[in-house]
Amino acid sequence: MTKQLLICFVFMLFAIGANAQDKTVTGKVTSKTDGQPLPGVSIRVKGSKQGTVTNASGAFSFSVPQGTTSVDISFIGYLMQSVAIPSSNVINASLAEDSQQLEQVVVTALGITRKKNELPFAAQELKAEDITRTRDINLVNSLGGKVAGLDIKRSNAMGGSTNVIIRGSKSITQGNQALFVIDGVPVSNATANTENQSTGRAGYDYGNAASDINPDDVASMTVLKGAAATALYGSRAANGVIIITTKKGSKNSTNITVNSGVTFGKIDKSTFPTYQKEYGQGYNSPATDGTGNPVPTAGFWYRDVFGTGKVMTPQFSSDASYGPKFDPNLLVYQWSALDPFSPNYQKATPWVAAANGPDTFYETAVTSNQSVSIDGGGEKGTFKVGYTRNDEKGVLPNSKITKNLFNFGGSYEMAKNLTVSAAANYSKIDGLGRYGTGYSGLNPNQGFRQWWNVGADITELEEAYNRNNKNISWNWGDATGTKPIYADNPYFNRYQNVANDTRDHFFGNTALNYKVNDWFDVIGRVSYDGTSDLQEEHIAVGSTALPAYARTNGTFAETNFDLLMNFNKKITEDISFKGLLGANLRRSRLTNIYAKTNGGLTVPGLYSLSNSVSPIEAPVERYERKAVDGYFASTTFGYKDLVFVDATVRRDQSTTLPTNNNVFWYPSVAGSFVFSNVLKDLTWLSYGKLRLNYAEVGNDAPNLSIYDTYTKPTAFGSIPMFSVSDTKNNGALKPERTKSIEGGIETSFLNSRFGFDVTLYKTNTVDQITPVSVTTATGFLKLYVNAGEVQNKGIEVSAFLIPVKTKDFAWTLNLNWSKNKSEVVSLYADVKNIELNTLSLSGAVTYNAAIGQPYGVIKGTNYVYKDGQKVVNANGYYAATSSSAEIIGDPNADWMGGIGNTFKYKNLSLNFLVDIRKGGDLWSLDQWYGQGTGLYPNTAGTNDLGNPVRSSLASGGGIILPGVLADGTPNTKRIDVSNSGSSAYGYPNNPPRASTIYDAGYVKLREVALGYSLPQKLVSKLRAFKGIDISLVGRNLWIIHKNVPFADPEDGLGSGNVQGYQSGSYPAVRTVGFNVKFRL
Amino acid sequence: MRKIYSVLVAAVLLSSCAKNLDEYNIDQKKATVVPAATLFTAAQKSFADVLTSPSVNTNVFRFYVQQWTTTEYLDEPRYNLLSRTLPQAFWSAIYKDVLSDLQEAKKVINADPLLNADVKANELAQIGVMEVLAWSTLVNTFGNIPYSQSLDIANVQPKYDDAATIYSDLLVRLDAALAGFKTSAAGFGTADLLYSAKAAPIASWIKFGNALKLRLGLIIADKDPAKAKTVIEAAATNVFADATDNARFPYTLSTPNNNPISTAANKALTTRTDYIAAQALVDKMNTLADPRRPGFFTTVGGAYIGGYYGFSNSYSNFSTMSAKISAFDFEALLMDYPETEFGLAEAGRRGYTVPGTPEQHYNNAVTASIIYWGGTAAQAAAYLAQPAVAFTTASANYKESIGIQKWIALYNRGYESWTEWRRLDFPKLLPPSAATAPAGQSVPDGLSIPVRLIYPINEQTLNGAKRAEAAAAIGGDVVTTKLFWDVN
Repeated sequence: MTKQLLICFVFMLFAIGANAQDKTVTGKVTSKTDGQPLPGVSIRVKGSKQGTVTNASGAFSFSVPQGTTSVDISFIGYLMQSVAIPSSNVINASLAEDSQQLEQVVVTALGITRKKNELPFAAQELKAEDITRTRDINLVNSLGGKVAGLDIKRSNAMGGSTNVIIRGSKSITQGNQALFVIDGVPVSNATANTENQSTGRAGYDYGNAASDINPDDVASMTVLKGAAATALYGSRAANGVIIITTKKGSKNSTNITVNSGVTFGKIDKSTFPTYQKEYGQGYNSPATDGTGNPVPTAGFWYRDVFGTGKVMTPQFSSDASYGPKFDPNLLVYQWSALDPFSPNYQKATPWVAAANGPDTFYETAVTSNQSVSIDGGGEKGTFKVGYTRNDEKGVLPNSKITKNLFNFGGSYEMAKNLTVSAAANYSKIDGLGRYGTGYSGLNPNQGFRQWWNVGADITELEEAYNRNNKNISWNWGDATGTKPIYADNPYFNRYQNVANDTRDHFFGNTALNYKVNDWFDVIGRVSYDGTSDLQEEHIAVGSTALPAYARTNGTFAETNFDLLMNFNKKITEDISFKGLLGANLRRSRLTNIYAKTNGGLTVPGLYSLSNSVSPIEAPVERYERKAVDGYFASTTFGYKDLVFVDATVRRDQSTTLPTNNNVFWYPSVAGSFVFSNVLKDLTWLSYGKLRLNYAEVGNDAPNLSIYDTYTKPTAFGSIPMFSVSDTKNNGALKPERTKSIEGGIETSFLNSRFGFDVTLYKTNTVDQITPVSVTTATGFLKLYVNAGEVQNKGIEVSAFLIPVKTKDFAWTLNLNWSKNKSEVVSLYADVKNIELNTLSLSGAVTYNAAIGQPYGVIKGTNYVYKDGQKVVNANGYYAATSSSAEIIGDPNADWMGGIGNTFKYKNLSLNFLVDIRKGGDLWSLDQWYGQGTGLYPNTAGTNDLGNPVRSSLASGGGIILPGVLADGTPNTKRIDVSNSGSSAYGYPNNPPRASTIYDAGYVKLREVALGYSLPQKLVSKLRAFKGIDISLVGRNLWIIHKNVPFADPEDGLGSGNVQGYQSGSYPAVRTVGFNVKFRL
Repeated sequence: MRKIYSVLVAAVLLSSCAKNLDEYNIDQKKATVVPAATLFTAAQKSFADVLTSPSVNTNVFRFYVQQWTTTEYLDEPRYNLLSRTLPQAFWSAIYKDVLSDLQEAKKVINADPLLNADVKANELAQIGVMEVLAWSTLVNTFGNIPYSQSLDIANVQPKYDDAATIYSDLLVRLDAALAGFKTSAAGFGTADLLYSAKAAPIASWIKFGNALKLRLGLIIADKDPAKAKTVIEAAATNVFADATDNARFPYTLSTPNNNPISTAANKALTTRTDYIAAQALVDKMNTLADPRRPGFFTTVGGAYIGGYYGFSNSYSNFSTMSAKISAFDFEALLMDYPETEFGLAEAGRRGYTVPGTPEQHYNNAVTASIIYWGGTAAQAAAYLAQPAVAFTTASANYKESIGIQKWIALYNRGYESWTEWRRLDFPKLLPPSAATAPAGQSVPDGLSIPVRLIYPINEQTLNGAKRAEAAAAIGGDVVTTKLFWDVN
């Protein structure tokens, strides 16, 4: 082997030497459309096989025999040019795009590149610049608003996971996340988050592994939406696939790219609460101290706090703002008066609203990104090496994520027909101070949005914490000021109750490609994706929560063995044939161990399991393995670049199914017809294609869902306990199936100045394997079944328009629009409703899959209506339906759209993207509690009589809720709303749950980017550089329209099936930054 | 080149074919076979936890009988059952964590051919008593419930059975269990956390079963006096004889097997100060100078002060539970001697033939309760000498005299206290209203004290049709619908 190589090498050197008398032609090829350099362009001596390709900056250099007069320059998607060699031997060519777009290639399933015109299914491709334009270090977020049918819901938490749903949720309770495939390596978008986190209870969002890639390394992304496009991937691709192809080196070139960027982010205050500023801490304003002793001003405690006689203090233990009216002339001993280190110690201060509200808690986020990549190649091989470092500091104090990404890729032609390639990526992600999410004291927004004292000044709290790093809070348990009761000082919380995590992520592959002859090649590939996670969570001694240290160690590894045999042959002049035979063996293994201290920490500041007060409970261990063997075949017949017919079949065998039922087959058929090729007389029609396809995809069961096991509670001393598991497994599961039909038309007109692509689809997922909630009267919480059918049908439109296109100036509009309608067609047995999530914090709100309804409908108590008017009870409060099973919201958007604009003038470009989501509801726990605790403006102000609403009825306060009594007569009952206990809003008096349902639609100016490439003339003087690009970027700059008060309608709890719920929501972050890219 | 192929092929073959890998489906970290005793222990603990917990997510009955109230958060003392998933948590705890484990334990025992027949009989009888206790708790909470079709995963939409019918069956099952005990043999041994410390645990279980039978008889006494008479007279001769017979659950010092009250209220485990004593009980005990007050409550400035029920109260102004109650290892009582003595007193007053006189039983009950809570026999005697306490003078209506004293004696046992309050209709308690509000606080009109819990919200979404049938059958799924035995 080595010998053969050596001979090859020597021969190669000799060959170069032999041509010493040739002349060298150099030059550069650019695109006529935008002047950008074109890499990979083929340059050939006319009538000979001698040639080269351009490098990443469009340059080429090669030797031609002395007598050569012209070369052919060709590139897919562009018109070929023959150029005469001038005496200078320097050729600078600019290629015009081939408006027919016949030759454009797209990467499809299993990394197979196909000409776009052949594709019989919808595939939308994004180029590198679409992804990196706004410098979002989470690659997945960059997809938002750019692809029809792709629903991206990002979390506003630093490093949080992004929910990626293609064409609607198909599975009732399983993952609906799209699969990411990076250079042939499947990388899961699943998160390491706990179920509690994803259903809105306490937790941290550790992000998803699909974001562990540097966006600058991406050459292109293809979104394969339908089953026909993904059928070859098999069972895991039922939710669509996002294929990421990274940049590769090109032959005979060396390129160095250095990228340096920084962005700054600030919260968007329109997504953060505005507070009422009239009333301070308390749930009410009793006239006495509760035991009959009078107080000078109603609503204050009146006690001998300092041993100097009775003084007035706020009701410290109340985490609400329904207390006494602010009055700057009233002096009160406030929370800091109990802190011996505070300048306010034992001092009374004016009773006023905070000068520095919770918005000032948020800092400026700074993200910097530095990367170097070197790529290049010789005659036989190419390589690419890259290093990227990201430092992200979040908007919350003491938060940062550091990413170090290393990658290497190379290929080498070992022999004429044999190419070996390998890629290796290693990412190390270190997180510190991830944001707590959901209903948890570790999420500062639980306080800021739900349980807050509008008199608490953030700057004072910061100073109080910094003086001695103690938990000095506005929420003392009593007037001794020894310990907070519910709310920690938010700075103590951020600096002491810290979560930190490390993820080592390795993925890569090695492949051999053997070209047996000109119509048959074989590829063998082994790929590996492995992560190793450590997550540590700390609760410090002195916190309101029980001090604790918890750690999770987890690993996940997946290995794929692929063997692909490709056949590509013209059967006749007009009929082409492509065939593929392949096998994929997948093996994965997950290990996880979670351990936590028990009963508190003995030594403060020592975070170790051995520091537990009581002996620790047995750690929770997980060990899950899975193997899937897949065999597949596909054929494509083409007739004259006019008609293409695809057929695929795949057989999977999965270990997660019962052995007697673990094999499943599924087919796809697809066809396309390029009708523009038969309508060549219609000069206005540049391109037109019809597509139609049908596909089925099978899926297996989640790990360990066949055999029953017992759970093991901690032993009672020496007496062991076991308990029946909450979930009943099922040994009779069969594979689930997704059937989809899709049709589309793709056109462009007027020399491709305008075009559109419309796709209609219908997807039915049947026999879903899902652990359904059952009444616990069965003895179980959940039962694994093959349940029912979910149908998604919709329409996707993408269009482009180039209204202006001159030599120097071009304006391009890209539009996409999609509408998906999901419907739960059937469930199982005679069950009509499955609960996806019950909010334990508001038991009357559930998220459901209900027959005949869209997926995920929100149920709860509704208003009672009479003749379109809300009904008010005799007691003056709104009536609620007796049933909690009323549908009060649908989290699915009516439609989504994006409008992208690109303006180019010479080397200057301006892009902006408007992202629109119409409709879709969310239920806000923030408003439910926050209105009940009197934080928001609607709970204060004046009433119809011009008096403060919070005054007593006797002094003209109170409100009359608009509505009618049960008999239809107008409500005239004025109710006292002077305190939380009689509030008309929020949780205390149990109004209809529908009262905090909001329309989550929005119109956002998502991205703005201004880019400038230094003119070549200038750059060429700076000899070292091939190009310098400078860009200014902005993200999430402006929410043009929204309906959810004081919150970002888009913010969710990360990826998961429960969408349309906000609890402790994070504000949106506006980001601006700049980036410089040097190409050497 | 061949070498490379060989490597590739070898790599592929190294991993076995997926079809031979069924062991991948066997969880390497969890048991698939367990001893029956471990399930029985788990069921006992789950039952003790749900009845003892003061968590507003699980058990709010101390509020309903106004033994306790809250400081800041008023949802639960104001009977709001939609704010959390409380009915669901209570229901699930008993079905899933108690009854399901007991059923599983029975399956394991019945499938064991090597088990000694007498031990098997005792174990099944112990399970039988626990089952009847758990079922009766569910019925007394909700009314009609899934019973005959329950605990069967093959039927995910079980029908709800009539509560009175279930009761009849429970009495049959209880008799069967009692008949099954073999005093000569062992039962679950140390796995039985209630009586394993006793010299003759099976004898204690027989008393426990009879005490339960007495309780069930009294529950139906207003509805079906004839049957109650038979049941009670059969049980009365073999119920608890003194406090050592108490069915006590021995919580430990180590979390998570500590008393759930300590989890919610002990300073070592939480900063929260949610619970204080409520006015109704404290005022009554102050009036009677009850010697149990130091055992029950803390003092404020040397006095016992109860908070405004259902209104905001500042924690430091009011008495709260005593340190004894919030101790990690404070035992939970599932059934106690005073309760059976009050039962016998009532049975006597109802004219049933039981040993002893009603007054004797009443005095035994009050005395035992005072001693249990740290008082002395002398204090008890002095207390009983008060005309407002003495059986003969406290009230002409035995329901009032027993009702009030039972309410006090069942302190910290909110669930049983609530059941007795519903049954005896004493003491007279008022829901929060404008009339009971302190100055500066208000409450919407129209609250009333629940006499049952509503069905779990998720029954509406998971078993909607059957729940609707049950709701109609009992007269509406609301907290004001009286259960079949609650006739007055």
